[in-house]
Amino acid sequence: MSYTLRGRIDSRLAATLPVVIAACVLALAEHKWWPVEAAGLMIGVGTALDLQAYRFLRYQPGWAALPFGVVELGLVLLFMRAAGIAAPLWQAVALFAAGWLTAQVLGHAGFPLLRLTYAEDGGELGRFGGAAAATVGVVLASAGATAYALRPPVVHLATGVHQGPLVISRREVLVGEPGAVVRGGIVVRARGVTIKNVSVVGGENGITIDGYRDTVLDGVSIAGAKLDGIHVRLAGVMIKNCTIDMLGNPHGQGIDISFNMDMGLSMVEGCTIVGGMEGITTHSSMTDIVHNKISRTTMEGISVTEMSMGMVMDNEVRDALGVGIYCNDRSMCMVERNTVVDTKNESGGGDDSRRGFGILASFQSEADLRGNELAANPVPMGSVTNSLIRATH
Amino acid sequence: MRVAVVGSGLAGFTAYQTLRRKLEPEEIAVFGADDDPAATFRRHATAIRQREMRSESDGHCLPTSFPGLAFRSALARRSPGPLIGSLLDRYHPTVDEFLAHVERLRERSGWDRSLRPARVERIRAVDGGFELDGEGVFRHVLVATGHPGLNVPEELRDDPRAVHSYEPHDYASTVTVVGAGLAAATEWLNALAAGSEVVSVRHREPVRQPLNVPREYFSRRGLESFHRLGPAERSARLRALLAPSYPPGRQWDEPVARAMMEEQFRIEESVNGTAQIVCATGFRRGFRHDPLLARLVDEHGLETTEGWIVLSGDGTVPALSDATRTLALAGVAAQWAFPAADTLAGARYVAHAFLRRVVSCPTP
Repeated sequence: MSYTLRGRIDSRLAATLPVVIAACVLALAEHKWWPVEAAGLMIGVGTALDLQAYRFLRYQPGWAALPFGVVELGLVLLFMRAAGIAAPLWQAVALFAAGWLTAQVLGHAGFPLLRLTYAEDGGELGRFGGAAAATVGVVLASAGATAYALRPPVVHLATGVHQGPLVISRREVLVGEPGAVVRGGIVVRARGVTIKNVSVVGGENGITIDGYRDTVLDGVSIAGAKLDGIHVRLAGVMIKNCTIDMLGNPHGQGIDISFNMDMGLSMVEGCTIVGGMEGITTHSSMTDIVHNKISRTTMEGISVTEMSMGMVMDNEVRDALGVGIYCNDRSMCMVERNTVVDTKNESGGGDDSRRGFGILASFQSEADLRGNELAANPVPMGSVTNSLIRATH
Repeated sequence: MRVAVVGSGLAGFTAYQTLRRKLEPEEIAVFGADDDPAATFRRHATAIRQREMRSESDGHCLPTSFPGLAFRSALARRSPGPLIGSLLDRYHPTVDEFLAHVERLRERSGWDRSLRPARVERIRAVDGGFELDGEGVFRHVLVATGHPGLNVPEELRDDPRAVHSYEPHDYASTVTVVGAGLAAATEWLNALAAGSEVVSVRHREPVRQPLNVPREYFSRRGLESFHRLGPAERSARLRALLAPSYPPGRQWDEPVARAMMEEQFRIEESVNGTAQIVCATGFRRGFRHDPLLARLVDEHGLETTEGWIVLSGDGTVPALSDATRTLALAGVAAQWAFPAADTLAGARYVAHAFLRRVVSCPTP
């Protein structure tokens, strides 16, 4: 078809209308804003390309929609990442694909049936096009206004030491000023809590999240916890850029995320953990563990166990006692591009699985290994008790 | 009755299908000599042994571009092939498919109820509409009289060896084909397939393009700039756009290349002593060759430029159309408004605009 510029924009906005509405419904159902943000980006990227590139095409054959769609998808994902929109990748791709397919069906069949002169008008939709554009604008603006109105309150924690335990029982963003310290731990008792730049000293657990979704811990620092540094049960959590000092606590875990398989994907990214029994452990959980540094643990650096699933990627594990990265108990692990060095042999008690494995799969687990750097470990990798390791380079 | 269509060929038939979206058969009168809208096309296609349409999925007589022939063919064949072909601009319906499509539409649209077997020789503007040769006064008239006859070069008109490509003919042992468009290319292949030795006589090298008129001129994108041109520029642009061409593709090139190697095909500058001359030289051009249009222009003093009647962008005759009545041209005579007006898409373009005027005009 030979689109006019207005025809392109009319057709794009009218075709996006069902997707925008679907994104709003999805956002309401999931209590997450990424579908609306993604739909807004889809429109923004598409319209920008219409204005800057596609308008120069004198004729666009039907097949061109496919490569153009791939380019637009790539740009949308890129901008989502740059804007920090936390969307599950495949759901975001599915939303885009549904939008693309809807646009094709409407462009080839729906609009020509709706408007007799659609083809000869170069895709222009007349008053309907204007109404569709206005509706898209109103829906997106309404969604944006709703999101703005529903933003959680931001609570600033002043510099200095605050006696805890601090219990957060409403949706809020807790931001620590430089030097803000909570003594005695933090307990999260609400959905959608964000804690940023707060230091925690002591407490049973440094931070406890039990039974609540959508918690974000960003830049927290924890030291001196009696049990776990961060203790997550039946909860969905994103943990970024944390520092956890478990030295002096040989039986606690740096981060323990357990029994949240039905809470969607959790993530631990960019944390530095020193000491403790296990640096990061997941039980019956779907958690990605990426870009972390873990050292001097007394049992395993990273442990994925009890039918857990997840990616263990780009981590650095040093000086672990017994096992560096452990995939255990019917778990499925993708272990890629990690560095595991200086694991120590602890088989003095006769336990062969503690011989200082860089990576160990145990008890009917499956581990896919790719591009890991394993150095100075008594046993680089191994599998025991009906487990499987698949190593590729 | 408010609406008349003068001409019962494919352009008139396509306009009729569009009008039927809003009007009943009893509200439309179609004047024509032949009740089969595809009769002329069928005769021409048979003469040049055409098997596939040059047009793509959109080359049909329905008022909307969807569902086109590719979609219908995919349903009939239970195969996505035609749709994929259409996405790649490689789908060309067969002539048989197209003719069956016309026949189906004719049966279900009430065409025969609207048809009046009469040849209109004169259209005269009167108060509240147009008087059609004693057939009555109609508020809105669409003239779709088609091409005004076959074009045979002057020097060959009396040559007994000459036949026009659109007239029934077989092939002699040596055949000269005059022309460089789709009909000429088709005749080269036909004559070669019949075992003839072929001489191509042409005034210029053939233009190779998928459609005769570039695709942007089928939509507002190309038409807006075309409509802004002054009369002389528009006339020059039309001449350039309407130069004969035929599509690129191996199916055209390989048989000719093979025949050239075997000395069965050659190019010459003038007609020589072959046993047969096929004039693939298309149709006569200009309203003067159409008695009805010539009389219309002369009696109403209509503006013309180099053989074209000057029309508004929607195909209407500006001096004879206003808020109460419409005179529009369709088919080849509407090229001043839509360069590809002699295609089915062009017929649809004029019909859409005509229907819009019919609907918006208050009925007294």
